[in-house]
Amino acid sequence: MDLAFTPEEQAFRDEIRAWVRANLPAEISHKVHNALRLTRDDMQRWAKILGKKGWLGYGWPQQFGGPGWSAVQKHLFEEECALAGAPRIVPFGPVMVAPVIMAFGNKEQQERFLPGIASGEVWWSQGYSEPGSGSDLASLKTRAERKGDKYIVNGQKTWTTLGQYGDWMFNLVRTSTEGKPQTGISFLLLDMKSKGVSVRPIKLLDGECEVNEVFFDNVEVPAENLIGEENKGWTYAKHLLSHERTNIADVNRAKRELERLKRIAKTEGVWDDTRFRDQIALLEVDVVALEMLVLRVLSAEKSGKNSLDIAGLLKIRGSEIQQRYSELMMLAAGPYSLPFIEEAMEAGWQGDFPGGVLANAPLASTYFNMRKTTIYGGSNEVQRNIVAQTVLG
Amino acid sequence: MDFDFSDDQVALRDAVQKWVEKAYSFERRRAIVQAGGFDRGVYQELADLGLTGLLVDETNGGLGMGPVEAMVVMEELGRGLVLQPLAQTLLVSGVIGAYGADDVKAGWLSRIASGEALVVLALQERGARYRLDRLAATASQAGGAWTVSGNKHLVAAADRADAFLVPAVANGQPALLLVEADASGVKTTGYPTQDGSRAGDLALDKAPAVLVTANGQAALEHAVDVGIAATCAEGVGVMEQTLALTVDYMNTRKQFGVAIASFQALRHRVADMKMQLELARSMSYYASLKLNAPAAERRAAMARAKVQLGNAMRFIGQQSVQLHGGIGVTDEYIGSHYFKKLTQLEMTFGDTLHHLGEVSGRMQDTAGVFA
Repeated sequence: MDLAFTPEEQAFRDEIRAWVRANLPAEISHKVHNALRLTRDDMQRWAKILGKKGWLGYGWPQQFGGPGWSAVQKHLFEEECALAGAPRIVPFGPVMVAPVIMAFGNKEQQERFLPGIASGEVWWSQGYSEPGSGSDLASLKTRAERKGDKYIVNGQKTWTTLGQYGDWMFNLVRTSTEGKPQTGISFLLLDMKSKGVSVRPIKLLDGECEVNEVFFDNVEVPAENLIGEENKGWTYAKHLLSHERTNIADVNRAKRELERLKRIAKTEGVWDDTRFRDQIALLEVDVVALEMLVLRVLSAEKSGKNSLDIAGLLKIRGSEIQQRYSELMMLAAGPYSLPFIEEAMEAGWQGDFPGGVLANAPLASTYFNMRKTTIYGGSNEVQRNIVAQTVLG
Repeated sequence: MDFDFSDDQVALRDAVQKWVEKAYSFERRRAIVQAGGFDRGVYQELADLGLTGLLVDETNGGLGMGPVEAMVVMEELGRGLVLQPLAQTLLVSGVIGAYGADDVKAGWLSRIASGEALVVLALQERGARYRLDRLAATASQAGGAWTVSGNKHLVAAADRADAFLVPAVANGQPALLLVEADASGVKTTGYPTQDGSRAGDLALDKAPAVLVTANGQAALEHAVDVGIAATCAEGVGVMEQTLALTVDYMNTRKQFGVAIASFQALRHRVADMKMQLELARSMSYYASLKLNAPAAERRAAMARAKVQLGNAMRFIGQQSVQLHGGIGVTDEYIGSHYFKKLTQLEMTFGDTLHHLGEVSGRMQDTAGVFA
C-alpha cells in the first residue's frame, strides 16, 4: 500500500502539465476558472488542439490511434486538464460512441467515423432519452423501419446535450416490437443534416440552451450506418455504460471548484464565519473521501484485481458533491448571487455588477444548472437500485 | 499509488480472522462483558498472535510492522467486535518506540510486546473534552525523581492495567510519563462502558513516575493519531459486519409475504450504507497511509478521516437498527452490540464535530488528497 504515485506516473503527470500549460488558450481557461459561458468555438477549439496532439481520444487503445494509456495515466491526464481550467471534453464522440464503433462497428465504419472523432472535426450528439423514456430507457419508441438499403426513422429524442451543434448523432431506435423491449433496439448513426431532422433547443432554468429536442420525420438513414446487428443495440449501449470509468465522479473538477469556493468565501467575508466555514470543511472531507475512492478503483484496475463493487458509487457521490459546491458558492455570495445579468456571464463584460464582484454573476445559474447532475446519466435513484442489487442481491 | 495488500498483510488478516472465528464467539464475549469487560486471558491470546508487539521493533521482541498492518488487525478485531484495548497498546508502544529514552524502551517494549505488561494512555481530563492542549495533571522532579499528580477518566482497563502513559505539565510544558499501577499514590476504579468493555478512573497523588519524553505535546499528538487511525480501521470492520448482518436479516425477514429486502425504500438505505462504508474505508486507508507524514499533514489527515468515519459510523449504526426493526433494539441480538460499538468509537479520540473544527481550522487554499 502506498498513497504516492510512482516516479514514472509523476513524470507522466509533469509531461501532461507542461503540455497543457503551453497549449491551453488563456482566454478559455479564464472562462472555465470563472464559470463564464463557453461557446461552441471554445469547446471545439480545445478539442482540435487535443486532437492534433492525439489526445482527444485519450482513452483509446493504440490500434485505433489512441495513446494506449493506463487507467492511472488517463486519470492523471483528466486531473491535469481539469486543474488547468480546460473545458470538459464533450464526451459524445471520443468517450461514448467511439468505443462502441471500435467494439461493434465494422472496418468501414471504423475508418469512416473514427478519424473525425479523433481530430475533433465532427461533433457528435447522443440520441437516447425520449419524452416517455427516461430512467426506463428500454421503453423508447423512435422507430427505424428497414426499407431496402435504408432505414426510415420517425420519432423524437430529447435532452440531447449540445445537440444544436451536432453534425452526427448516435441513436437507440426501435427496430422491433417483438419480445422484451430491450431486444428490439438497434444502434444507428445518423447524419444530423439529413432531411427530416429538426433540432429545437430547450431553454433551461439558468437561461442557457444546453439541451435540445430532436425530431425525426421520415429521415432516411443508409443501412450501412447500423452498428453491429439489428436488435442488439441495447447490448452495445450497456457495453458503453460498463466502460464508463472513474471520470464520472468528476473529482478533479471538484478539487478545482473547492479551491474556487474558498476564494469566493474569502471575498464574501464568510471564510471567518465558523458556521459557514465548517460547511466548507465538511465538503473538503467529502472531496478527499471521493478522491480516495477514485484512487482505490484505479489501483484495482492497475493490479487487475478489480473485484471492487464500488464503481457504481462514484456517480452518486460525485454528482452530490458537484451540487454541494455550487450550492455553497451561491450561498457564500448570498444576495449578490441573485442579480440575473446574462451578459455578465460572458467573458469581457465591462458593466457594473451589483456589489462590484463580477465573480458572483454566474453562481446562482451554476447552482441551478447543477441540479441536472443527479438526474442525468442514470438518475441517482436508479444508481441506488444498482448499488443495492450488488449488496442485497 | 497502490491499495493492494501484500501477501504478508493478507496472511496477518487471515490469522486474526481465524482467531476471532475460533476463539471469540458471541457467547465468550458476553461472558467477558458480564465479568467486567476485560479478560487478561484474551489479551494474552492476542499477544501470542504477536499483535501486542505489532509496532514494537524486532530487537525488543516485536514484529516491527507499520500502520497498514495495524489497520488490517484493527479491521478484523472490529469485525469480530473484540473487546480489547489493542489500540492502546499500539499507540503506547508506538510512542515509547519513537520518543522514549533507551532505558524506557528497554524496560517496557519487550514486556508490552510479550503481553506481560498492559500499558494504556491516561488521557481524558474533565476540562479538556477532546482537546489535547488542555492539561491539568502536573509532574514535578525532585532529586532526579519524577512524581505525577492529577485525575484521569475513561482510562482503558484502568484497574487491570500494569502501567499508565500519563500526559502531565512539567516545567510549564506537556510531558509524557510512565506510572506503574502498583506505585504509591495511584488509585484506580473500574466500570463498564457502553460497548461492554472496561474503563476506569485514575487518581494520581505524587505518584512516582518515569519521564518518557519532555516533548509531550508532539508525542501525545502522535499517540492520539495512532489511536485515531486504529479507531478508524476498527470502525471499518465493525461497519462491514453491521452491514453484512443487516443484509442477511433483510433477505431472511418476511413481511407482506416477501423478504423485506425487496422494498425499494429499504434498498436505497442499504445503498446509502454501502456508500458510507466505502467512503469510510477509503478514509481509513488515508489515515493509516498518512501516519508517517510530517506532523501538520498527519494531524490534518486524521481529522479529515475521523469526520468521515464518525458520520459513517453513526449513519450505519442507526440505519442498521432501523432496518432490523424491533429485534435491532434487543440485547439478545448481536446487532445492537455492533451499534453500541459504533457509537462509542465515534466518541473515541474526538468526535465528528470536534474533528470538523480541526479540519475547518486547518483548511488551506488547496484541496484534495495530495494537498
